[in-house]
Amino acid sequence: MNPVSREKLASLSNSVKFATDLGPKLELCRQLKRDLLEEDAAALSEFLSHIFDLYSDPSGPVRKLATEIIGEIGVKHLEFVPEIAPFLITVLEDATPAVARQSISCSIDLFRHTLEKTAIQGLHSSELDSDLESSWSWMLKLKEKIYSIAFQPGSGGVKLVALKFVEAVILLYTPNPNGSSEPPPNEGTPIEFNISWLHGRHPFLNVGDLSIEASQRLVLLLDQLRFPTVKSLTTSVIVVLINSLSAIAKKRPAYYGRILPVLLSLDPPSFVIKEVHVYGANNALKNALLSCLQCSHPSAAPWRDRLLGALKDMEAGGLAEVALNQVHKVNGSVEDEKDHSSVIKEEKPMTKACDAAGSNVGRKRSGTEDSSGLAETGDVSGKRVRSTPSVSEESTKELNRNTSMSQGDISSAQSTTRKVDVDTGPVQQLVAMFGALVAQGEKAVGSLGILISSISADLLAEVVMANMRNLPPTHSHTDADDELLEDMCIVGSNTQAKYPPSFLVDVVSLSSTFPPIAALLNSQQSVPNEIVIQKTEVGEEVDVMAGPNSTVAYAGMAHEAENALLPGMEKIDVPTPSDIQDVGNLESGIPGLDSSFHYDGLSDAQAASSLVSTDLEDTSQEQGTSFGGKSPLHVLPSISIERSEELSPKAAVNDSSGVVSSTATSVVSSHPFVLPKMSAPVVNLSDDQKDDVQKLAYIRIIEAYKQIAVAGGSQVRSSLLAYLGVELPSELDLHKLLRDHILSDYINHEGHELTLRVLYRLFGEAEEESDFFSCTTAASAYETFLLAVAETLRDTFPPSDKSLSKLLGEAPCLPKSVLNLLECLCSPGISEKAEESQSGDRVTQGLSTVWSLILLRPPIRDVCLKIALQSAVHHLEEVRMKAIRLVANKLYPLPSISQQIEDFAREMLLSAVNIDAAEITDAEGLIIESHKDSELEKPSHEHQSVSSTGKDISAIFHQSETSQSGSSPSVPEAQRCMSLYFALCTKKHSLFGQIFIVYSSASKAVKQAIHRHIPILVRTMGLSSDLLEIISDPPTGSENLLMQVLQTLTEGTVPSAELIFTIKKLFDSKLKDVEILVPVLPFLPGDEVLLLFPYLVNLPLDKFQAALTRLLQGSSQSGPVLSPAEVLIAIHGIDPERDGIPLKKVTDACNACFEQRHIFTQQILAKVLNQLVEQIPLPLLFMRTVLQAIGAFPGLVGFIMEILSRLVSKQIWKYPKLWVGFLKCAFLTKPQSFSVLLQLPPPQLENALNRTAALKAPLVAHASQENIRTSLPRSVLAVLGLSPESQPSSQVQTSQAHTGDTNNSEKDAVAEISKESSGAS
Amino acid sequence: MEAHSLLKKQGFDVSSYGTGTHVKLPGPSLREPNVYEFGTPYKHMFDDLRRKDPDLYKRNGILPMLKRNLSVKLAPQRWQDNAADGYFDIVFTFEEKVFDMVLEDLHNRDQVLLKSVLVINLEVKDNHEEAAVGARLALDLCEQIEAVESWEDSVDDILISFENKHRRKLLYSISFY
Repeated sequence: MNPVSREKLASLSNSVKFATDLGPKLELCRQLKRDLLEEDAAALSEFLSHIFDLYSDPSGPVRKLATEIIGEIGVKHLEFVPEIAPFLITVLEDATPAVARQSISCSIDLFRHTLEKTAIQGLHSSELDSDLESSWSWMLKLKEKIYSIAFQPGSGGVKLVALKFVEAVILLYTPNPNGSSEPPPNEGTPIEFNISWLHGRHPFLNVGDLSIEASQRLVLLLDQLRFPTVKSLTTSVIVVLINSLSAIAKKRPAYYGRILPVLLSLDPPSFVIKEVHVYGANNALKNALLSCLQCSHPSAAPWRDRLLGALKDMEAGGLAEVALNQVHKVNGSVEDEKDHSSVIKEEKPMTKACDAAGSNVGRKRSGTEDSSGLAETGDVSGKRVRSTPSVSEESTKELNRNTSMSQGDISSAQSTTRKVDVDTGPVQQLVAMFGALVAQGEKAVGSLGILISSISADLLAEVVMANMRNLPPTHSHTDADDELLEDMCIVGSNTQAKYPPSFLVDVVSLSSTFPPIAALLNSQQSVPNEIVIQKTEVGEEVDVMAGPNSTVAYAGMAHEAENALLPGMEKIDVPTPSDIQDVGNLESGIPGLDSSFHYDGLSDAQAASSLVSTDLEDTSQEQGTSFGGKSPLHVLPSISIERSEELSPKAAVNDSSGVVSSTATSVVSSHPFVLPKMSAPVVNLSDDQKDDVQKLAYIRIIEAYKQIAVAGGSQVRSSLLAYLGVELPSELDLHKLLRDHILSDYINHEGHELTLRVLYRLFGEAEEESDFFSCTTAASAYETFLLAVAETLRDTFPPSDKSLSKLLGEAPCLPKSVLNLLECLCSPGISEKAEESQSGDRVTQGLSTVWSLILLRPPIRDVCLKIALQSAVHHLEEVRMKAIRLVANKLYPLPSISQQIEDFAREMLLSAVNIDAAEITDAEGLIIESHKDSELEKPSHEHQSVSSTGKDISAIFHQSETSQSGSSPSVPEAQRCMSLYFALCTKKHSLFGQIFIVYSSASKAVKQAIHRHIPILVRTMGLSSDLLEIISDPPTGSENLLMQVLQTLTEGTVPSAELIFTIKKLFDSKLKDVEILVPVLPFLPGDEVLLLFPYLVNLPLDKFQAALTRLLQGSSQSGPVLSPAEVLIAIHGIDPERDGIPLKKVTDACNACFEQRHIFTQQILAKVLNQLVEQIPLPLLFMRTVLQAIGAFPGLVGFIMEILSRLVSKQIWKYPKLWVGFLKCAFLTKPQSFSVLLQLPPPQLENALNRTAALKAPLVAHASQENIRTSLPRSVLAVLGLSPESQPSSQVQTSQAHTGDTNNSEKDAVAEISKESSGAS
Repeated sequence: MEAHSLLKKQGFDVSSYGTGTHVKLPGPSLREPNVYEFGTPYKHMFDDLRRKDPDLYKRNGILPMLKRNLSVKLAPQRWQDNAADGYFDIVFTFEEKVFDMVLEDLHNRDQVLLKSVLVINLEVKDNHEEAAVGARLALDLCEQIEAVESWEDSVDDILISFENKHRRKLLYSISFY
């Protein structure tokens, strides 16, 4: 050894020893390990003690590392084992679990290597060196120690590894059926050790012993999982146990029969006390069973059925099917199978019937697949079953053997029946032992013999029987090469010669556990069939039901086989009539697993045989074989062997014996003929071709569905179609085909149902969230499908059709794109503008769909509502109206969404107001104008439309539409935004207040729009308390609006007392504008109106006129409030100064009256004048009115003269203003007025003549007439200048003085009057 | 990946793997998934998809996801091919299917080291929010297991208390390297 490295190592180990910190210490240790492993054995031997010292370190990690180092050294240099093994044994007791675990980990490596080395050395030489021998014995001690840990009660981390150790030892001690049975030619080859290399040639490693030990250990392991031990274990131990056992079962299929019953009988919920982790153990169990299921080894086959059952119970059925399918993938029908299973799973809620059918199919299929799997494995079963011995030599012996074989078979079958599932430990051990011995081949023959002879006959029988269940249904190596065959022949004959037949049977049955041998044996036995008859005779002689060749039993399967769709069918032998009556042979001759065959099928043997014979004919023709009868029989797998063993083995036996008697006459015999295997041609398709085939198949199916309506049962069938369409498309775009089918005739093909099924299927897939990929793709498929169907429904069906609505209402969810579609439908113009003609109906369709969605699908209510609301502010009047009708009439009443609707409408309203705040400044002035316009032209319109449309809100919009012409461009926009709000107002009157508030700040266009809406709106609303409240306190700036509201309210109806009261109150308190009273004027009592009259007169002329009209028209019930005469008198009663009203207003009012001559007629005027003239003092405008009356009605002159003369008597001259008027009147009415003038006292006459000079001459001329002159007093004549004597100047003086001061004002008045009269005329 | 990045930040020695045969990302339709080999750098996928249809892949969240992955490691790795990465103490899976696949794979390996490995399934939905939650839970669990000397002895208690605390069901198994 290199001294340098030695020194280095020494110092290293020292520094490790003295290092104090854990970190550096571990690092040093690792370095030490690296260095050490490079050293040779000699050096190591020195250092080993150093390292053992390291183990005394107090810290766990260091001890662990030390153990690891020692373990590795041991593996590398097995010669140290005698030192290392004791060390490891002590380490097992370490207080730190991790260290103890490490010890076991090292042990297993060490054990494996030691075993390997020991074994291989033993193979090459008969003597082993003593070192190795002692190493091995130490290893055995170590092993025992670990065993004790593994099987001691209790739990813990150490136990887990110990159990693992046991597993490893079991695997090492038993032959690996998949491994090479010969040791590698040169030792260095890294190949997994296989105990079967030993072949019994080892000096002290006895395969049988090892196998027995393994078997015992396995029993111990299994016992742990048995009740009640299992209860004391922790979940982790259970999980490890289950995993270990399943691993053993998988790697050593010979143990299947022992391990699986235990696993299958495990019921996690019952044993896990801390129930929290039941599913942990459950899952492990499930996985274990699944992995067993996937095992393709023949001895696993009989268990599949039970495994499947158990897995189904654990609700892993689907997985199990998949697993099974994987096993049978060869057959290519995997996909189908998968489809079915998933169909079954998901269909459940929908149709029970379908479910059942589906699962039947599934089950049957799995059965057939099994069999096809078998057939695949080779044409074995036939051969094996046909245990026809070769006749070529020693026929008697052969026959003997044959019979005894059958005997053995049968007895075993019987005992199986007896001890159904009792797991007999010792027996199983024996079986394993036999297995191990047989595996050694010729060499072990001796020990086999000894073993057999030492076992009692009963036990031996049980061993045979127990092994029956391990018989594989097939053999995987049928094409054994010739060399081996010969070899085995020799073996076979040797065996025959030396050992009793019963032993041979055992060998045979055992060998079936070990396929290679079995295959060899069988192939040896497969012979020409000529011997058969002879043989059957022998069978007769043997009193047991020894079927010479059990194959015949398959005859019973004929009808079963018919159903089977096997890709590779196997033609086997034929029952031909013969004189042999011992039909029972058929059944009993079947090697163990055949008991699974359906005897009930056979019970009607007659039928069966006839069936067979027909089949025979067919096939004979087909195959052109000349032999009498051949039936195509399918070798069905013995999938149910376990079940039948368990459930009705006896029944089966009875059955068969029954058959024996009943069919005794029908004489079915057995002539196995091996026919060439007929396999279906396999054509490999490219992927594209497969796609095409699938597609075509699907199209065919779809086509077939078109007839289904006739056939009935479409309910169930359509779900199948839907699932098919969805399941297949992983490769193809079958959605489209399905969609086309659906859409080609939506109604007749139950499109709705079918679509929904597809959608639910896809939706389920998307929601499953199994993995990101598949759920995303499923979601997109879902969306595409739904959208395509929806679009087609929209485009092809008339708008009145409800399919779309129904579809969207029932689809599992609506993706965004579908909502977009709906939105486009409701608000045309968003995307395309083309279909103007239809859009109206389409909008209705869309809206009603939205409506139903809102009702039916609360989760997307908001989105749908948004669509409806968007549509309600659509720019097209028609669309908007429809949407508003929906929103206001149908949706707004829903309490859950009304607030939302309200908010939206308010927002839109406000947005309209805020559009152009800039315009507000000049809006005020203009608004009056527009208001006037609409007011003037509206009444006529409204009456018509309102009467026809009644309360329907839509009237509002029709109305506003008609009056829309010629307004500013933003009015439609304002309407667009506000219509919805108005509509809502009719439903909730309190909302109306907002309009008043908004109104004051609204732009001109908005006001205009509002005014257009108001009449119909208000009329629809009627007078409610809400409205009254609003009216009673209108915000400033909204007077115009208020007026319109009032007008509308009073139009055509009698306003209620409350309204009148409210208005009056408003007038009295807040709003002094009498205008608001105008609408209710007709309904006010006359005296109140008279009180208000001055205010009315003070109104602008047009408004006064309107008010006048109302007053005179009055209400329909009560008649006119005031008569025209009263009106005129009231006007004249106004004192401009007292009432604070400009005279001009009063005269205007008068003029207004005179304009309406049809009302203010001659008679009325006369009456008015008559009354007025009596008033004291005379009304200011009296003379003016007189003048106007003359102007208007010249026929009144006579009457006027009378008035004038009465005025004279009233000393009219004392009223300077009236006097002017009087004179004017007199002037205008000359010559009639002359007589009146002449009645004037002389001073007044003179004054008059002075003022109106033009009067003088005609008056003088008039007075000069004789008759008149005489009647005149002298004084008058004197004034006229007709009397010669001079007039008393004093009189004239006074009168002049009297009148002089009035001169100016009178002049004014005259000027005024003339002006007025000219205006009036 | 979320858990990977979180655990990595917390100083755990951690790797992440897929169990499928390929890296499959959703494509424009069901029939056209984007398939990559394991080992294809995330950067490559990112660029590839961005070139193909940036809008689509941004919308369905693929691009952001790839971007996140870019920051965690170079390329996706496959569990079944990770033998060279040495042995792990704990394996977390976030879907039962994956759990089963990992266990199957572990059972199929040659178990020579006899080093126990704890496999825990924590069911997490495949979206960003849930992944963040799941990652935190995984971290919590790791820390608790780290705290005990030997999980083999106390795994049941740890997991039960975790389940009670977070109201999450766990599935676990033990396998060996």
